[in-house]
Amino acid sequence: MSSVLDVFRFRRKNTPLHRLDPRAKFAILVLFSAASLILNDLASLLLVLVAEVALLAVARSAGEWLRSLKGLSMLVAMILALNYLTLPSNRLFTALTLALRFICLTTAFSVFFLTTAADELATALEASGLPREYSIMFTMSLRFVPSLARDLQTISDALRCRGLELEKGGLRTRIRNYTYLLVPLIVYELRRSLMIAEALEARGFGALKRVEPYVELRLGRADYAAIATSCALLALTVALRFTSLYEAFVRLQLSIFGEL
Amino acid sequence: MEAIVAEDVHFSYDGLQPVLNGVSLVVRTGEVLALMGENGAGKTTLVKHFVGLLKPRRGRVLVFGVDTREATVAQLARRVGMVFQNPDHQLFAETVEEEVLFTLRNMGVPPHEARAICDAVLREFDLARYRDRSPYSLSVGERKRLALASVLSYDPDVLVLDEPTAGQDYFNKSKIARLVNGLKRRGKGVVVVTHDVEFAAQVADRVALMAGGRVVREGPAAEVLTDAQAIAAARLTLPQIPAAAAILRERGVKLSRIPLLPGGLYAEVIALLDGGAP
Repeated sequence: MSSVLDVFRFRRKNTPLHRLDPRAKFAILVLFSAASLILNDLASLLLVLVAEVALLAVARSAGEWLRSLKGLSMLVAMILALNYLTLPSNRLFTALTLALRFICLTTAFSVFFLTTAADELATALEASGLPREYSIMFTMSLRFVPSLARDLQTISDALRCRGLELEKGGLRTRIRNYTYLLVPLIVYELRRSLMIAEALEARGFGALKRVEPYVELRLGRADYAAIATSCALLALTVALRFTSLYEAFVRLQLSIFGEL
Repeated sequence: MEAIVAEDVHFSYDGLQPVLNGVSLVVRTGEVLALMGENGAGKTTLVKHFVGLLKPRRGRVLVFGVDTREATVAQLARRVGMVFQNPDHQLFAETVEEEVLFTLRNMGVPPHEARAICDAVLREFDLARYRDRSPYSLSVGERKRLALASVLSYDPDVLVLDEPTAGQDYFNKSKIARLVNGLKRRGKGVVVVTHDVEFAAQVADRVALMAGGRVVREGPAAEVLTDAQAIAAARLTLPQIPAAAAILRERGVKLSRIPLLPGGLYAEVIALLDGGAP
């Protein structure tokens, strides 16, 4: 469980990608996720994935990504199987494409979250005019993802110790048994969120309408270059996607797959 | 009787940083073992092995002769009851009564027996008047007692209590101490993970000190908890009675041994007064 969520956990490293302004990284995120969504064929999505992995390599985070991919493999397999079993035609090609799209999307987000600190992200959001209440809400929801995973693990441990069988049994029983985990999880998280709200107020959050940021973000040359490149590549992708050339490219791939 | 045997247990959560570095330890029935050491020493990680929540990467853990790798947690839990530190992680039922019945049902106790057991356990833990209330409406101390009650209800042979005294007032702490002693008298094996040296002095027969994923000292409570050096090495402080005795010794009072409990110190002082009288 926690290994899946590991993919979105920031680790401080000194690489060109980590040094980039969060807004520039956001542009890269938009490029990759838009490309993953509008491109509809195996080869182009593979290209997107290669580009993403290249960036992860630059950020020296490919290891973390690979480990999390193992955690996601169940979900990927499910996407593949369900599509393959239910589609009317071009089953293998489309199923592979959809599974790859899922991988491309999660990778796009892991490129962003593995290299962007939550506080930097908050500063960037505030610099773009978002009220501080919302930016705090956003960064906190990210910050608490690993805690949530840990709590879920602890709760499942505690209930297994009281004889709840989560490791054996049919799918139906297992799903029903998992619902036992939800009550303590929800109550616990609600309690905690109230506690955090009180702690925030006790530490003066909201006392001033406007607060000065301690870190000022400034876009450097590399940031502008990243933003410009992302915009250009996105425009190019969109333009190419809606040409007859792209249609022909997809048809070519389909013909390779034939009747599968 | 040997209930749980840990043999050269190695464990790490991420495969890189070792948390347990070859721990060997035996838990016996009819005995209270206190597992102590600073935060991060590996205490909780070790006791999670006792019910199979974690499986050793190297070495093995036997629960009544069964290798934990060959049984599910729910199966092992029939012999070993584990009570977690935070009660909020374990309670989920609509009412206090159902909370206890849930465990009994999982353990296969027939309905009419379960009712009787539930009544008895709730009375024993002073929770009977809350039986129809939601567990979440109870105070922290009461929730902790309910978590304990729901595990004790099915009468496992060994109990593992993770920080049972954390967040409890003095009154409830001595109540828990009495409970632990009662369990021991009934022949149960009890493992308490605790930082509380006074509590350990009150209940433990044996103490294992952990540091850096190893058991660095293990022995009778009266020896380990009065050993100033070992206690300091595990980043704990001496319990009050041995500390007082140490001060007396420093001042030149000749004590025959460092006592652990008030009775022992009293006996030492009396012996001294008798011996010193003209």
